[in-house]
Order: sequence, then structure tokens, then C-alpha cells
Amino acid sequence: MPAREIWLIGEPAIERRVALAVVIAFVIAGSAWIFLSDLLLYAVVHDRTVIARFETAKGCAFVGLTAWLLYAITLRSVAQLTKANRTIFAVLESIGDGVLLLESDRTIAYANPASIGMLGVAKLADLQGMGAPEFSRRFHVSYLDGSLVPPDQFVSQRVFDEPGPIRYKSVLYPPGAREVVISCTAAGVRPEIGKTADIVVSVMHDITVTEHLDRLRDELFTSTAHAIKTPVTVIKSAAQLLSAVGSSEVRRSTVMIDRQCERVQQLVENLLLLSRIRSGTLQLYPADVDLVPVVKEIGSEMAGLSSRHVIDVQLDAHPRIRADRERIVTVLRNAIDGATRASRPGGPVTVRLTRFGNDAEVAISYQPQLSNGEADDQCPNATDFDDMGVARYVTTVIVEAHGGRLTEQTIDDVTTIRMRFPAEGVV
Amino acid sequence: VIDSSDVLVVDDDPDLREVVRTILSLSGYEVRCAGNGQEAVEAVAQKLPAVVLLDMLMPVMDGWQCARELQARYGRAVPIVVVTAAEHARARADQIGGIDDVLSKPFEMDDLLRVVSRYAAKIEPGIRSS
Repeated sequence: MPAREIWLIGEPAIERRVALAVVIAFVIAGSAWIFLSDLLLYAVVHDRTVIARFETAKGCAFVGLTAWLLYAITLRSVAQLTKANRTIFAVLESIGDGVLLLESDRTIAYANPASIGMLGVAKLADLQGMGAPEFSRRFHVSYLDGSLVPPDQFVSQRVFDEPGPIRYKSVLYPPGAREVVISCTAAGVRPEIGKTADIVVSVMHDITVTEHLDRLRDELFTSTAHAIKTPVTVIKSAAQLLSAVGSSEVRRSTVMIDRQCERVQQLVENLLLLSRIRSGTLQLYPADVDLVPVVKEIGSEMAGLSSRHVIDVQLDAHPRIRADRERIVTVLRNAIDGATRASRPGGPVTVRLTRFGNDAEVAISYQPQLSNGEADDQCPNATDFDDMGVARYVTTVIVEAHGGRLTEQTIDDVTTIRMRFPAEGVV
Repeated sequence: VIDSSDVLVVDDDPDLREVVRTILSLSGYEVRCAGNGQEAVEAVAQKLPAVVLLDMLMPVMDGWQCARELQARYGRAVPIVVVTAAEHARARADQIGGIDDVLSKPFEMDDLLRVVSRYAAKIEPGIRSS
């Protein structure tokens, strides 16, 4: 770690070294002065009375000089400290985030104007001396899920004993004011690394508007995903109706309509899931899922939607997994769709359900498209063809949320996307 | 008395009602339509259908309310198939109970006909059977 950083986080050994260096320099300079001036004095003057007077004058001069040096150094240091204090105070006063300083008795010693405004109190004195239990009673500090944060779990309390900085999101309910969503961090000022903090600095960043926008975005995605399903149903059903009674030309067109409806539906589904993942509200409803019918159904569905590829479904095992069936359907659709879009025209796509140790594995293999004159490693893969990587990201997160793993590997001109899930029973 | 070929389609979207009505009519079923839960309850009171295809998100009276009302009045005599765009509708239907089937939007025509054929009988073969 660079010396400057060590100095900034407060390393007592360095402080002691600097102080010792100053003292040693003073002792050497002082001793040298006494010794050399005495030598000079004894060489020039031989009268003992005169020598005594000179020594008294020399001592007085030494005291005067060191007094002046002490005065200059102290004045400079105090001026620097005062300037630093004023700078810190100006920063604290002007900063838009709420800053609380807690003393070793774990109560609030100082609150900047932003935190006074954020907490809806009239003046600093209303917060000074306030401990965590009282703060909890007044502001009902809660996690985002609505449960109360125990006072001993406040970051500003934990960081007295734990290494910081610690961070979390919480909601404050100032009396008579609107709720405030904050991202709160805290760090301790310690006499030595690893020791209990003397002072804690806690910073509250108001993220109410951001959280509100995030919630609005999630609601927009949810309502859009929901609302788009009815028109898609009408378009699909009407197309299928036309296909049932129409000519072969009409049937070809209706197949295209059907295919595009599926793509719209899949894109909306992935955007909805992405939004849930980002906001941490993705929920799984696990149940016992037999993978054979699911893989068969989705393989057959995707085969019906692909005009350029034969999708071969191979069922080499009969695994059951603990999973959310709807989400598993989504990841299978995404993976097969990605493979068909990245595969060279007419190339076969194989979906193989097998076992790998105690896991169930769905492996989707395809031959990636060849690009003219480019090296093989620059060939496009499934990720390049899914909508800006959304489908791949969503698929990976969902597979991992089921305790599984997603990998992609290309060997000898064949790319294989593997999804492994912990299986409950494999035949 | 239950009309074994009568299918009641309940959805607030007139296009969806129309397309489902056309598919089922051409497949040989007798079809009635309702635009919300309240209309559905009144339609069932006039004549018990073989099955109710019930959307969930509707004005006036939503699907869950309508399903509870029909169960309270007729018990399990009127099969209810929930037709919904909501996620995890089957899990919710299982929690509530009294729901015979769930058809998720967007559905395939074959899925629609397969579900309806479980509860209703055709009055004529229809185009899908010919």
C-alpha cells in the first residue's frame, strides 16, 4: 500500500516515527550547538567569570531560539489543523448527502444540514446525543421489505466493531414527513487498525427518487408484458384460424405471423425478467419438474417456429429437478432460440437431455455460422444473436438461481450450450 | 341443467372474445360471450354452461371474484378454466382452489380446443374435426 494511503487511514507506527525523527534531530542539533559553542568559547576566553557569563547568555539564546522555533512550528501546525477543520466543516455543511458523526459513546455528535433536512428535525441539537434505540423509535428505520432494522444492526453501530465501510439500503419515516429511501454507508476512525472505532462517520444518500423510478420501470415492464399477451393471443389465434381455412399461401404467411408473435412475446418476457432481476424481485415457485415432457414440448414448439433448422430432441435420461417450470421453459426457449439464430442456415440443432454426475444436463448443439475470411474464434455465437445479450443474461441468472450452471463451448466447429441443474432423481 | 356443448367465454377484450368464439363455433361448440365477471354471473344464471373460459383482469368484476361467486352459487357444477396472462397463474389457482384448468396467454388454438374438449361436447363435428 502506498505510504500516502497508509498515512490517510492513520498508521500509528508512522506517526511515532515522524515524531521520533523530529526529537532526534533536535537532540543532535542542540547537543552539537552546546558542544561546539563550548569548544569555541574555551578556545577564545580563559577568564572563568567571563565564561560563566557567556554560558548563561548562550543558554538564554538557546532557550529563546527553541522557544521561537516551537512557536513557529506550533503556529504553523495549528493553522494547518484549523484550515483542515474548516475545510472538513465546509464539506460537511455543503454536501448534499446526510452525514452523521458518532462519538465513542455511540451517540450522534454532529449532523450536517442535509441530514437535518432528511430527518425532518428543526436543529442539530434535536439529534445530538441520540443513540441507536432512540433513532430507531423516531425514524422507524426499515429494510426495503418493510421489516424493522434492529438498532444494533445499524451500519453506524456495526462499524464501531466491524471493519468498514458497511453499506445497505433502508427506509426512514421522519415524523410528519414523507418516507425517505436511503443508501447508507459508515466507516470508523480507529486509533489502530482492528481496534474499536473512536468516531464513526455515517453517510446517508437519498435514493427515494431513483427507487421510485425503478419501481415505476418495474411496474411498466410488468403491465406491458401483461398487456401485450392479449393482443398477441388475438393475432396468433386469428392467424391460426386463417391457416385452418386458408390456402397454402395464406398458411405460409400465418406461420410467419406466428413466429414473429413468439419473438415479441419472448422479448417482452425477457425484458420483464431482466427488470425483476435488476430490482431483486425475481421470484421462483419451485416444484417437482419432470424435464422429459418440458424438453419435448419446447423442442417441438421451437421446431415449429424455425423454418431453417431441424431441431433434433434426444432424451437420454429421465431426470426430475426441483424448479420453477415457467422459468425453465423460458430458459429452454432462450437457449434453443439463440442456437437456431446463431446456427448456419439449414444446420442441425440438437437438444440433448442427459445426466452428468448428479446433475441433469440439457445440451444444445449447433454449427455456428461461418464468417468470410475470419478466424474461427471470431464466428458469431448465440449471444450475438439474442436481443442485446438480454436473453443470455436472463437465462444465466435463472439457471444459477436454480443452483445450476450455464456454459458454452465450441469444439471442432460445433458449439454446445450446456445447462446443468441439480437433479432429484435421474433414470 | 347443464348444456354440454355450451362454452361461456368471459374476457373484456372484444377481439379476443370474437376470435375465441369463431374458433370454438367452427369447431362445433355453442358459444356465448361476456365482457366481465358480472355479465358472466348473469349468463350462467340464465343457463349453466359446460365450461367457463374466464379471464382474470377485467373491469366491474374480475375473474377471481367471478370464480368465487360461481363456486358459491353452483359449487363445482360449472367447470372454470382460467385464461390469463398473469405469471404463475396455476400456482395462484391452486392456492384459491375450485379452478379446474389454467390456459396461459398467449395460447395455441390446439391448446384451447384441447382444454375445452375436456369439459364440453361438440354439437357438430366442426372444421377442426373434419
